[in-house]
Amino acid sequence: MPSADVAVIGAGLAGLLTAVRLAEDGARVVVLSEGNGTLHWAGGPIDLGFAPRASDAADAVRGLARRRGHPYALLGVDVAPALDWFLQLTTDLGLPHAGSLDGGFGPLPTGIGGVRPVSVVPAAQAAALEPWAPGERLVIAGQAGFKDFWPRAVASSLARPEVWGGFSRPARVTAVTVEWPGLHERRNLNALRIAEAFDNPDWRTAALDITARAVASTGPGPVRVGLPAVLGLRDHPRALDAAEERLGAPVMEFPLVPPGIPGIRLHDVLRAKLRARGGRLLLGERVARVETTRRKVTAVATTAATRELVTHVGALVLATGGIAGSGLIGEPSGVIRETVLGLPVEGPPIESWLSGDPLDPGSLPIAAAGLRTDDTLRPVDPGRPTDGPLFDNVRVVGALLAGQQWMVERCGDGVSLASAWRAAASLSGAAPKRRATPRRAEAVR
Amino acid sequence: MTFAGTAAASTLDPTVVWDALVIGGGATGAGLLRDLARRGMRTLLVDRSDLGTGTSGRYHGLLHSGGRYVARDQSAARECIVENRIVRRIAPFAVEDTGGYFVTTPDDPDDYADAFPGLCAASDVDCQEVDVAEVLRRNPTLNPRIRRAFAVPDAAVEPWALIEGNVADAAALGSAALPYHKVVGFDRSGERLLAAKVVDVRSGTEYRVMAGQMVSAAGAWGGQIAAMAGAKLTMAPGKGTMLVFNQRMTDAVINRCHKPGDGDIMVPVGTVAILGTTDIHVADPDDWQITRSEVDELLDEGEKLFPHLRRMRLLRAYGGVRPLYDPNEAGTESREVTRAHVVLDHAARDGISNFTSIVGGKLTTFRLMAQDTADVVARKAGVTARATTAQEPVPDPHGGAKARYHWLGGRLAAHEAEGGGDAGLLCECELVTRSMLEEVLERRWPCSLDDVRRLTRLGMGPCQGGFCTFRAAGAVADHAALVTNDPVAIGDMAEQAMADFIRERQRGTQPIAHGRQLQEAVVTAGFQWGTLGLDSLVGTDARSDAQR
Repeated sequence: MPSADVAVIGAGLAGLLTAVRLAEDGARVVVLSEGNGTLHWAGGPIDLGFAPRASDAADAVRGLARRRGHPYALLGVDVAPALDWFLQLTTDLGLPHAGSLDGGFGPLPTGIGGVRPVSVVPAAQAAALEPWAPGERLVIAGQAGFKDFWPRAVASSLARPEVWGGFSRPARVTAVTVEWPGLHERRNLNALRIAEAFDNPDWRTAALDITARAVASTGPGPVRVGLPAVLGLRDHPRALDAAEERLGAPVMEFPLVPPGIPGIRLHDVLRAKLRARGGRLLLGERVARVETTRRKVTAVATTAATRELVTHVGALVLATGGIAGSGLIGEPSGVIRETVLGLPVEGPPIESWLSGDPLDPGSLPIAAAGLRTDDTLRPVDPGRPTDGPLFDNVRVVGALLAGQQWMVERCGDGVSLASAWRAAASLSGAAPKRRATPRRAEAVR
Repeated sequence: MTFAGTAAASTLDPTVVWDALVIGGGATGAGLLRDLARRGMRTLLVDRSDLGTGTSGRYHGLLHSGGRYVARDQSAARECIVENRIVRRIAPFAVEDTGGYFVTTPDDPDDYADAFPGLCAASDVDCQEVDVAEVLRRNPTLNPRIRRAFAVPDAAVEPWALIEGNVADAAALGSAALPYHKVVGFDRSGERLLAAKVVDVRSGTEYRVMAGQMVSAAGAWGGQIAAMAGAKLTMAPGKGTMLVFNQRMTDAVINRCHKPGDGDIMVPVGTVAILGTTDIHVADPDDWQITRSEVDELLDEGEKLFPHLRRMRLLRAYGGVRPLYDPNEAGTESREVTRAHVVLDHAARDGISNFTSIVGGKLTTFRLMAQDTADVVARKAGVTARATTAQEPVPDPHGGAKARYHWLGGRLAAHEAEGGGDAGLLCECELVTRSMLEEVLERRWPCSLDDVRRLTRLGMGPCQGGFCTFRAAGAVADHAALVTNDPVAIGDMAEQAMADFIRERQRGTQPIAHGRQLQEAVVTAGFQWGTLGLDSLVGTDARSDAQR
């Protein structure tokens, strides 16, 4: 019978970071996830918080921390140490990030020709944090026929100053369409396919030669090159280096509609780190039931395709996400159900789950639904928060925490980081210290 | 793949006198355009919006066998089955021959089922009792407790293809259709309407269209057109609400075998299935707001046919307004108002010699409605030619040389025949390719993505445009670059296309957002706003538009 000190349900950023942090501390950790996790939808930036008048992410975090009921009211103080750890961790894993809490925001253009504020980004987007020099141009290069990146549309949109908000912007935006080798066939011309092609050193040399010639044809002077976020999957760091070297210019990967290659890269290195520390990540595991005694979870039963797996646990971390991640389901009756333990949920009434204009991100009040916790992230009843935790050995992290309008506040990754940091700290205190152990054979079968 | 017969505004030469002007570009108007054209009358059709955006584009997609009317309205049932056979013959490309069943659920009375075959026979509706086990085997999500089942020739019909084919037939004879041209008034001299004042709603330019005969096929909006002409006409619009599910839980039309009511029919349409309907009298035909309680009531009824309905994913709710007309003009309850159509000759009623309205009716009988109207219009114009619309095939706008029914796998087969693969697919849900989109943009420019949707089904599948909107906007930018070099103008056009389409596709989700579809809404908004920075594109404009 498999067992773990801690089982983490959910393989998004919050779940993986909690698991890695606990594994670093010597705990036996298993991550059980029904799907691949939301990092597969992520475009690269680590969103810590944003507000139109905030001077930097630290300022935005402080502003949100003053808001009653926001996760940062509890966790705001942990954002800085959690970020320090994350930056070191990703550097060690070969996927370094740039930016900081107090370095201000920069404008990152996107694959639909929009611009989003960023404060911490992977190296392939670091140029977004540097102000544009006078005369510096943006050249957008994309593969002909790639349906998720239309160079002309992106460049035309970015030619409009108002799209850049108040940010510094390029002197001119130009589009070039390129034919990377062997991609003109009809099948599977998607971001994943192109990213895998960039993992091949010979192919990418040829592709970058073509790109460099196209960029050079746009004229002299300093440029940055905007590319769809497809610069390699497993060999991304070398692909990025090769691109900047061959193009002789800073490169910016524009986020695309999912799948998000930058997010998949992060997922992959975190999973590798977890495994290196003896942790396990089991995909396709839907929680069927949870065994409890009094105020403790003792085991989690998951179902995959052919059998039920019962994992005995010392503690449980709910990293299942909110509505988007399936951690919560809005029932037709108006009840918002927490899907693992059936915990009481705080959220808006059904008539205001969605309201107003779909083009206004504030029109999704349901996004703020979630669980209330005590200060060690143990779930409490939102109606009777002073009654104490409903389970002593359960922690709640990430988007499942109530009170965040993450689409507007751009705080989702910061909440994931800080809550992973807090949950791991409180569980490390409780779990027995031991050396990492290799994974056990019976657990993976 | 376009409304081949739609004309540019240059058609509006002010010196031209048309033989007839048809107001309203639904199925009836398009059918009327075709019928008059075939009788030798050069006719112009105008619609305030795109063709097929009113009731014809907002119904459940059923080509009636007549079975729903056999108990209450035998003449309507007879008209339905006759026209059903005609539409199948003249426009098979618009019909998916799903067949239909009337099934007796535990909530339906035995005596209705006992009488049903006889009633069908009396109205000449083909009906055959079939083995319940076999129906359940073919439709495993159906209520296993149904007791009886009757097969009828119900079918699904695609309104836009039908409209397009009718317009194309008329255009080949010198007639034309102008979308986005709204009638705002008439010039009248004594008993005659001399010209219609028509505004190009996209440019704001006003034109005068002279025509010998003026015909209102404006359906639920007929009262408004009549008022402009100085005639009195009181419509009794009945709103029907429909729910779209993300999959075809049945491959045949399923009706409950009872006195027709709310939520008792499921129609497989394209890749989805549509549960219909409600029937609520509304004062304003543009009012089709839908509440959660309406959705709940529909689901309660629908569960009697499909017990697991609430566990299936709902994509959207939409409403259409029936062009009902109460001959007494007395305000009768909607379900009780006749579905029959009436041709109103305003010469006799209102002293306007060259003005005619067609009111009431249903899509299945659009051709007959057009023929009955054209008989009156032609007589008034002194034209003696007879209708030929029941005999002559409608041209297939999708270019199929061989007459055959539309089938669900047809588009995939065509795509595979051209080499297949996913590279060219901009809308994976509905298999809309880059070349299909480019072709429509070329022929219909300037046009919205919603116009493109009606001609291609872009964005009508499970993701409701979540992904393909941006691809289509990319194609719009490439197309716009053919007409302007100004990147700002190109950016603005692509953004407008994007914003309008997102708003249009999300319009019907609010009252049905729960479960997986609520999740879809949050996930989609999450990557559109969070990852892609949609707010930098549509932020303030979008919000002020919504407040209008």
